[in-house]
Amino acid sequence: MLHLLNGPQTMGNGRAFWACACLVLLAALIYPVFADPYDVGNFAYFLIWVFMALGLCLMWGYGGMLSFGQTFFFGIGGYAYGVLSVDLGSAYGMALGNFALAVLLAGVAAAILGYLMIYGRIGGVFFGIVTLAVTLALAYFLGQTAGPEWAIGKARLNGFNGMQGMSPLSLPWFGGDIDLEETPLYYFVLVLLVGTYLALRMLVNARFGNVLVALREDPQRTELLGYDVRRFQFGAFVIGSMLAAVSGVLYTAWGQFITPASIGLPAAAMPIVWVAFSGRSDLTAVLVGTFVLLAAFQTLTIYSEQAALILMGVILIVTVMFVPHGCFVGLGRIAAWLPRRGRTVRRPSAEVG
Amino acid sequence: MFADLFAYFYQFADVFAFLVLSAAGLAVIFGMMGIINMAHGEFIMCGAYATTFAYHAGLPLPLAQACGAIVAGVIGIILEAVLIRPFYSRPLDSLLITWGLSLVVTQGTLIVLGSSMPGIGTPSGGFHIGEYGFSTYRMILFAAALCVLGFIYLLFKRTRFGVHARATMQNAGMAQALGVRRNRIYALTFGVGAALAGLCGALYAPTMTLIPTMGATFIVESFVTVVVGGANVLLGTAPAAVALAITRTALNGLYGQVFGQIGLLLAVVLIIRVLPEGFSGWLAKRAS
Amino acid sequence: MKRRSLLSGVAALPLFSIVGRHSALGADPIKIGLLEDISGDLAMMGLPKLHGSLLAVEEINGKGGIMGREIKLTHLDPQGDNARYQEFARRLLQRDKVDVLIGGITSASREAIRPIVDRMNALYFYTNQYEGGVCDGNMISVGAVPEQQLSTLIPWMVEKYGKRVYTIAADYNFGHLSAEWGRTILKPLNGQIVGEEFIPLGVSQFAQTIQNIQNAKPDWLYMLNVGAAQDSFFEQASAAGLHLPMGSPIKIMLGFEHKRFAPPALENMHASANWFEELDTPAANDFKKRWHAKYPKEPYINDMGYNAYVALYMYKMLVEGAKSTKKDAIRKVIDKGGACIDAPEGEICIDPKSQHTSHHMRLISVDAQHHVHVDKDFGTIQPYWLGQVGCDLTKFDPKEQFSPDHLPKKM
Repeated sequence: MLHLLNGPQTMGNGRAFWACACLVLLAALIYPVFADPYDVGNFAYFLIWVFMALGLCLMWGYGGMLSFGQTFFFGIGGYAYGVLSVDLGSAYGMALGNFALAVLLAGVAAAILGYLMIYGRIGGVFFGIVTLAVTLALAYFLGQTAGPEWAIGKARLNGFNGMQGMSPLSLPWFGGDIDLEETPLYYFVLVLLVGTYLALRMLVNARFGNVLVALREDPQRTELLGYDVRRFQFGAFVIGSMLAAVSGVLYTAWGQFITPASIGLPAAAMPIVWVAFSGRSDLTAVLVGTFVLLAAFQTLTIYSEQAALILMGVILIVTVMFVPHGCFVGLGRIAAWLPRRGRTVRRPSAEVG
Repeated sequence: MFADLFAYFYQFADVFAFLVLSAAGLAVIFGMMGIINMAHGEFIMCGAYATTFAYHAGLPLPLAQACGAIVAGVIGIILEAVLIRPFYSRPLDSLLITWGLSLVVTQGTLIVLGSSMPGIGTPSGGFHIGEYGFSTYRMILFAAALCVLGFIYLLFKRTRFGVHARATMQNAGMAQALGVRRNRIYALTFGVGAALAGLCGALYAPTMTLIPTMGATFIVESFVTVVVGGANVLLGTAPAAVALAITRTALNGLYGQVFGQIGLLLAVVLIIRVLPEGFSGWLAKRAS
Repeated sequence: MKRRSLLSGVAALPLFSIVGRHSALGADPIKIGLLEDISGDLAMMGLPKLHGSLLAVEEINGKGGIMGREIKLTHLDPQGDNARYQEFARRLLQRDKVDVLIGGITSASREAIRPIVDRMNALYFYTNQYEGGVCDGNMISVGAVPEQQLSTLIPWMVEKYGKRVYTIAADYNFGHLSAEWGRTILKPLNGQIVGEEFIPLGVSQFAQTIQNIQNAKPDWLYMLNVGAAQDSFFEQASAAGLHLPMGSPIKIMLGFEHKRFAPPALENMHASANWFEELDTPAANDFKKRWHAKYPKEPYINDMGYNAYVALYMYKMLVEGAKSTKKDAIRKVIDKGGACIDAPEGEICIDPKSQHTSHHMRLISVDAQHHVHVDKDFGTIQPYWLGQVGCDLTKFDPKEQFSPDHLPKKM
């Protein structure tokens, strides 16, 4: 199994890469010892969004399906967690149960939507627009649930003002649950992220990933080779969407709050921007790139007042003009090219129409 | 009876005009050229602002509106040369570029021109049929939408430029080998798309609040219409707009605007599910 | 590793903050955190709010600060994004350790901030008029609420124009709750809702709505439309020859539509306001003069900007009364009653039960040339509704938002 961590579908297979990765992880693990609790919490907050980006990377970068629907599943996950948390409570590890249930629910929704689209042979821009339409419809729908009649059990959806009253995630522990906030939340998200990242690496380097990349490059040829393309697309879509729901649950639990604005535009475009900026064809690039971009945008917003949005726009334009294939895929290639040692794997072109 | 029928038609015409006018520019830039233009709304805003400036400077409204379209078109041509041209082979990167552009433009407008602009005022004039009052200007918008559809069709089907443009979009290398000046065609086509977007802003400027983010109200409808129309925009945009306008008008009338909005989006999902190639793919299949 | 270096880079940058002119004030400064949108869709509302706060800070610091302590104002721009509101509320409270948090425009942004403020047991000023009903000991509301705006506006409109009312409301909490308030107030007046329509935010086309109104033949329109896109209604209605009287709790003094639209789109619009720039009293004129001296290009001093200005003086009064910036000490001052200041509109006080503010309300209207007239002076009106239905923060703090269909449990 573990040999699948390295393979042709991921950058950074050499010993140097893994040494660096271990160092980064170590640094991340001891970071809270040195840092202000606020910074640790903020750090955790950035990591929360990375799951959604990794999901999109899998379906778009590897599978060639541009989905505008990440926030659709983000919203389903978040609202489901809210409703479950209010109605079922969160004592005795129930919070984690709600987490799992919410993600599962999003998985079911993804299976239905994915079945309709992928088995209906919807592809290309049509895929993007259908996912966008469903996403916006959900946002509009939730926006008009202000009245008291829109409640599931005790949980009021509360329209545009957003749902409240859910509890943070908590771990069952002897002598009382531990609320996952600040540093505990940080460690929880970090562990979850590392696990997800490694699992995704194994997935894309296994047969599944190879077929996925093949069909991204040429669906017809892959089909003629005897693969049922749709099954692989379907799998990637469901997994990717469930990762968006993980982000949704974590976000809702982090701020004990979610609104339809997290689902509709411009929120729906954000994952695409992160992934495209980082370089959609590689998991590591998306992981690092999303984190850096989130931190950079927040920092810009804090320190530059009204100029922030302009600077963000300029950064995007400049990056795309000078670093094709995404910022961090570009950096990764330079890093792989510099030492000229270890294994250099010729990667297939990442151009997808 | 007649009054009611006309009222229905008026509602349909209003939604139809909105869909066609907001989609026209995008149909050229996204539908033909394949550029996912996230800054479409900003071209519309640009047209509206230019119109307002020209009007306040003393030009009569129709001339001011022409100015709006031309200004947006010229800006489009410049931006094409500077920003868009390297990305024809990488259409997805154009998404990031134009998104970045839209951030810069909206925020830049906010900082330079302030958070809102004094409006123009809709040209007065209305008429009554039965007990309903109607605004003449909305009918002008409907007529303009029909003209725009006709203009796009004639431009790309009947003129030399149009033939060159379509050839270039299909196979740029081949077209160039046959003597078409590729870069000029790209620039002009993009300019036409930007000008059409600007025209949309110019036409709606007298009826709307002018703020830097005003383009956002058009963006969903425009993308949806173009995509439902399918790959061949000359064939697909009109039937797509008709179908979506009928859906929306009916739902607006029966259940209110909320369900009109949600229904429009669900109709898009349904249409694409049934016609995975959009309207133009379906029409082409029936024709052959 | 990249992460580490990035974060330490952040720490090294100087914090953007706005400090009043440097004076020789003693002791530590009082830190105030401000969250106002000055980018994105809501910038039009957020800019006057920021200006109001800056003006008040400059004035207070110029006169020796609060108890001799200078105010240090830190403003962050959430860009109209609820998630940014959450990030920045945490940042201001946890990292910058501000003594009080002020700001937020939409009700959604207020609700995004509130769970954070409550968990950290901080003090928060919400400075907008809103749909009312928040009973939360950590929050002080400075803007006007429905019992101040709607219980004055609606009976007046019914008396002057008639009982048939058509409601046009934005399809979110503010719209729904204000529409419900309208129904509640109209019932004893024998008023009749002949039509009620909820419009999704961002919709800018109103041909269908205008036709529905023509069908229903109301005496006047109860306008609860929100945002720049929905404001397009006025142009379109005017062009279609719909010239009905209109009443609204948010037009004129808040969105200054009469300045933004060409006349006569806003003709016959009425509103009930605690502040509007055309208010002509010596105190108001003096205030306007100071504002325009500092911000000569301000298109309009709206009630949000005014409330933001007033909020700082209110905070100053509370801190000086409590001789402390601690939340509990400040709440004791409010509990005693008589927590009042002389604002440009007149004297206003914080109600101990709900921690909302009393206001001097006036009915204003706009004519065909878009001039504003004062039609009636209602005097000072208390924010009584929450207290009536059982919210009493001096005894119990539910930290909830109530509405006529969601009342507190009787104790």
